[in-house]
Amino acid sequence: MRNTIAIMQRELLSLFCSPIGYIVISGFLLITGVIVLMTKSFSPGQPATLAAFFYLTPFVLTIIVPAITMRAISDEYRSGTIETLMTAPVSDAQLVVGKFLASLVFYVIMIAATLIYPILISMFGRADWGAAASSYVGLLLMGATFIAFGVMASSLTRNQVVAWIAGAVPLLLLAWLAYYMIPQVSGALRTVFQEVNVMGRFEAMTKGAISLSSAVFFVGGAVLFLFIATKIVESKRWR
Amino acid sequence: MIEVRNLSKYYGSRCAVDKISFSVAEGEIVGFLGPNGAGKTTTIRVLTCFHPADDGQASVAGHDVFQKSMDVRKHVGYLPESVPLYPEMRVREYLQFRGKIRGLGRAERDAAIGRVTQRCWLSEVIDRPIGQLSKGYRQRVGLADALIHNPKVLILDEPTVGLDPGQVRETRSLIRELAQDHTVMLSSHILPEVEATCKRIIIINRGRIVASGTTAELRERVAGDHNTLAEIRGPKDGVEAGLRAITGVTDVRSEQRDGWLRVSIATRNDVREAVFQAAMKNGWSIRELRREGASLEDFFVKIVASAAAQATE
Ligand SMILES: Nc1ncnc2c1ncn2[C@@H]1O[C@H](COP(=O)(O)OP(=O)(O)OP(=O)(O)O)[C@@H](O)[C@H]1O
Ligand SMILES: [Mg+2]
Repeated sequence: MRNTIAIMQRELLSLFCSPIGYIVISGFLLITGVIVLMTKSFSPGQPATLAAFFYLTPFVLTIIVPAITMRAISDEYRSGTIETLMTAPVSDAQLVVGKFLASLVFYVIMIAATLIYPILISMFGRADWGAAASSYVGLLLMGATFIAFGVMASSLTRNQVVAWIAGAVPLLLLAWLAYYMIPQVSGALRTVFQEVNVMGRFEAMTKGAISLSSAVFFVGGAVLFLFIATKIVESKRWR
Repeated sequence: MIEVRNLSKYYGSRCAVDKISFSVAEGEIVGFLGPNGAGKTTTIRVLTCFHPADDGQASVAGHDVFQKSMDVRKHVGYLPESVPLYPEMRVREYLQFRGKIRGLGRAERDAAIGRVTQRCWLSEVIDRPIGQLSKGYRQRVGLADALIHNPKVLILDEPTVGLDPGQVRETRSLIRELAQDHTVMLSSHILPEVEATCKRIIIINRGRIVASGTTAELRERVAGDHNTLAEIRGPKDGVEAGLRAITGVTDVRSEQRDGWLRVSIATRNDVREAVFQAAMKNGWSIRELRREGASLEDFFVKIVASAAAQATE
């Protein structure tokens, strides 16, 4: 546990020292800000709503989250510091979980900055705090899965750009393909798509419904991806 | 402290380390010498649990590197060849981090950092970002990291590569000092380096150990192949025949140079006195008589050259 925390702290220090960290946070706030403005969430005379924000944010996150995690493990490979870590008494799992937690903390800080939108809304009219709260829980759960996936992508390669693409492209497909395919297919395929329907599960949460199955889906997904990442780091020794 | 038995390591189908065996006793300081690509780093990476080996056994500090990897890692301080560090961190932050993952508590950690910064002359850069340090200082940070948990065994991969002569000397004397209370294994491709710091040398080439022993033992082996040189004034044929008659002489070659015969006598033992007596008996004069200095450097270069010749065949 101590090792995991130490790795997490070190990673956070690096994240906040690197320009990437600030580029990612400002990029995310810029994009979501534009979304909120463009979708006229605050038009006078209409009820203020964050529906558009919560509808589009998962899409933004599929690209932004892998940018947070892309350096997590790949940079250790690139700089060779993986050698100093793997020859110290740190297990592969501690390394992976430490990296995950650091990215999660960074993500939470980034998401917390968007709380400004519901606060603004509440100044314009009556905000639905219940729905907002469950939406944020949804963002947290979905984010955890995305981050674990990004850390896994980062464990594959020493190249950050490759790690980013390997994280973002499958996440984009996962998040959106199922969502758009469900109405067009039937039978077993439909059931499969409904199960892995990240967007649909998140959408339900923005409406205030947090189901146990969705929580299990997201947390389970995160655990699975972290497990795979650990195996990948382990297998890298055998080269 | 370090036991290696028939260790092999392949990269794909390429054999980097081929069934090597050696051991390092507690308190010893051993140099691992070999030309580029000999397999030094590969062996060291197996010993430090970074790479798994394909075959054979290795144990460090009494623990098997494959089965008890965590125990080995706790007892080993390791300076990798490329000295990988986090450029964005300050030296103190880095040492704090390394102390934490070495399981040192806060007070222990602070004490350890004080100790290693003093030992490795880091006090003046302790609050600077590592990325701004010169190569020599980065090397010291790596060494400080290897020492922070006061390990039983220190494994240093080319600890002085890239340093200026002054720093090389400082680092060597530091390593000799460290050898007083740690078991040290260091690798190098420079013979004078290991001669200067190590009691014992293991020479590795193309994945195999070609020689090992104390510097004195190796020198003895090298001397066996060497010559006695003499400059004698006398008839060429007579001198050659007279010297060949001495017991132990296997070959005599001579050439005329400004009135003197320059003779090279191939022998296994010391024949200087016999040469002198032969000269007295035959009435030759002698102006020089010496055993050619046994040079480990020649020996090392010969090993490397013969390997290179094999490789091109
Ligand atoms: N990651 C790797 N993948 C493939 N081959 C490798 C790898 N690392 C080393 N080798 C090969 O294994 C052999 C031994 O390399 P090693 O790095 O152990 O040599 P070395 O003795 O440390 O040399 P140097 O003095 O240059 O550091 C070399 O032929 C090298 O090309
Ligand atoms: Mg090497």
